[in-house]
Amino acid sequence: MNEKLRRLLTPEGVRDLLPEMAAWKRELEKKIQASFSRWGYGEVSTPAFEYGANFVDEMKAELTDKVYRFLDERGRMLVLRPDFTLPLARVVATHLTANPMPLRLCYGGDIYRYAHGEQGKQRVVTQAGVELIGSDCAGADAEVIALAVDVLQDLGLNEFTFCLGHAGFLEGMLAAYEVAATERETIKFYFNNKDFVSLKKLVESLPLDGSAKEAILRIPGLRGGKEVLTEAARLVPGGAADEPLRLLAEVWEVLSDYGATEHLTLDLGLVRMLDYYTGMVFEGYTGGLGYALCGGGRYDQLLGHFGSQSPAVGFAINVDHVLKVLQRTSEMPTERELLFVGYSKARRAAAFAEAARLRQQGERVLVDVQERSQEAARAEGERLGAAKAIYLG
Amino acid sequence: MVNKDWLTVALAKGRMLPPALELFEKAGIGCGQLRETSRKLVFTVEEHKLRFILAKPMDIPTYVEYGVADLGVVGKDVLMEQEKELYELLDLKIGPCRLSVAQKCGSGKFKGGYVATKYPRVADRYFQGQGKQAEVIKLHGSIELAPLLNLADAIVDLVSTGKTLIEHHLEEVEVIAEITSRLVANPGSYQVKGTRVTDLLQRLEAVSAEGVAAPC
Repeated sequence: MNEKLRRLLTPEGVRDLLPEMAAWKRELEKKIQASFSRWGYGEVSTPAFEYGANFVDEMKAELTDKVYRFLDERGRMLVLRPDFTLPLARVVATHLTANPMPLRLCYGGDIYRYAHGEQGKQRVVTQAGVELIGSDCAGADAEVIALAVDVLQDLGLNEFTFCLGHAGFLEGMLAAYEVAATERETIKFYFNNKDFVSLKKLVESLPLDGSAKEAILRIPGLRGGKEVLTEAARLVPGGAADEPLRLLAEVWEVLSDYGATEHLTLDLGLVRMLDYYTGMVFEGYTGGLGYALCGGGRYDQLLGHFGSQSPAVGFAINVDHVLKVLQRTSEMPTERELLFVGYSKARRAAAFAEAARLRQQGERVLVDVQERSQEAARAEGERLGAAKAIYLG
Repeated sequence: MVNKDWLTVALAKGRMLPPALELFEKAGIGCGQLRETSRKLVFTVEEHKLRFILAKPMDIPTYVEYGVADLGVVGKDVLMEQEKELYELLDLKIGPCRLSVAQKCGSGKFKGGYVATKYPRVADRYFQGQGKQAEVIKLHGSIELAPLLNLADAIVDLVSTGKTLIEHHLEEVEVIAEITSRLVANPGSYQVKGTRVTDLLQRLEAVSAEGVAAPC
């Protein structure tokens, strides 16, 4: 590729949004933040890059490979934020420890991750999300899910499902059956990818008795309403997973009072690969989109890494994915029509004043860049796509 | 608008179609109309609220990824090559064969060199994992030609009976993976159409265990 051509392209995994689409996306972001605000969450803004040490230790290998790193003028490693949860944990631990808990924070902006793949994989992703910090109640877990449901509904999505699981369930079960640590990791990896073929092959090769194997392989089928919790309890010996199951039952109860269970499916095979999740985890999906719209969960240890022990739960919405779904299912929101103001040299000041008055009223007003005849101004307005031309001459 | 009641399944045209249809029929889903040789590519089975689409094997993961199809039946070879984020729900055990390295008879172990294949990413990853220097050449078919014409030192291709290899004086030297067809799902469909997907999954699981052997 020659230099001149390269200058015209964007790098792999990033893209431009043109006026109408960019406006639509901005509109979505505003709506999401407005919902967060109505639930009493306060917005926090963090820098796009930070010291690598803040992130890299806390990230699972899977994410460390995907982080953009570079050096500052003194040779210290910086990273472009790969998510918002870590920066928010740092903010809370450093600036907000004196605030009354629980603390409700929200954020919105871009995250940066290397991504590979032929199509559709973006390296800059716009997220919007919340963190509820300082409460370990099931009520806190339920609140963030109910909020996520509220946001998606408010955006005009109606067919979506939230699947809800617990990071401790699979862990407890595998521990109870004394599965070795390395194999536990692999099993979790297969559950994360829902690669049930490899899972089956691995589990069948493990030195476990038949009922243990059967129990592990039964997990992918543990999906549905509250009834799956009873079945799940039967599969785990010695009550090793009672705590996670009790919590999920309670979260479900609270969510039914929120009126949100209609969109909810329990999925005990749900695993989110980030290491910091310790409790409830969830993901939101819609038909026809191969990726989650949103996801989150509870991470009670993470703030401790920044020196302030506090339980926390949160989620992030992928704004680009929401936009993609809305593009397919609904009309692009129409913007207010454009007005065009033309003028003669003598009336230029009056034209600017008129434009200012109209803008005050919320109109979108184009003002001509030079004086013209009335005829020419009308043609110019039409050429630029204005619905109406006003002339002061 | 996505219809929650209907499921769309993408099937591969060609040699993998008959065993896949046999499996669906064993699972109680009559799909005789798909056997008729016509140019039709979309079939509906009203009774089970199923829609089948026929596509090129290499395109099946794409149809599923973009949600045009909820589920797909596709060879593990294609999945390995494309590495899409699809859920691999079930080994249907149809179309068993191997993805293998083959060379001209009597050339010993493959130590590196030019490799012709339809699976450049799999080949690249495999040889890198072995610390061998391989220059991968992508071809779209008749891979056996490459070593005969000295375009490549070895090939990476599907092998079932090995007959094709023998005819071209080639021998299988290493097996990269055992291949069968898999049932894959789009994560969105898997969650949103959970009950329907689970139902079909269980039906197929019950009959696929028996194993429908079919030559590759």
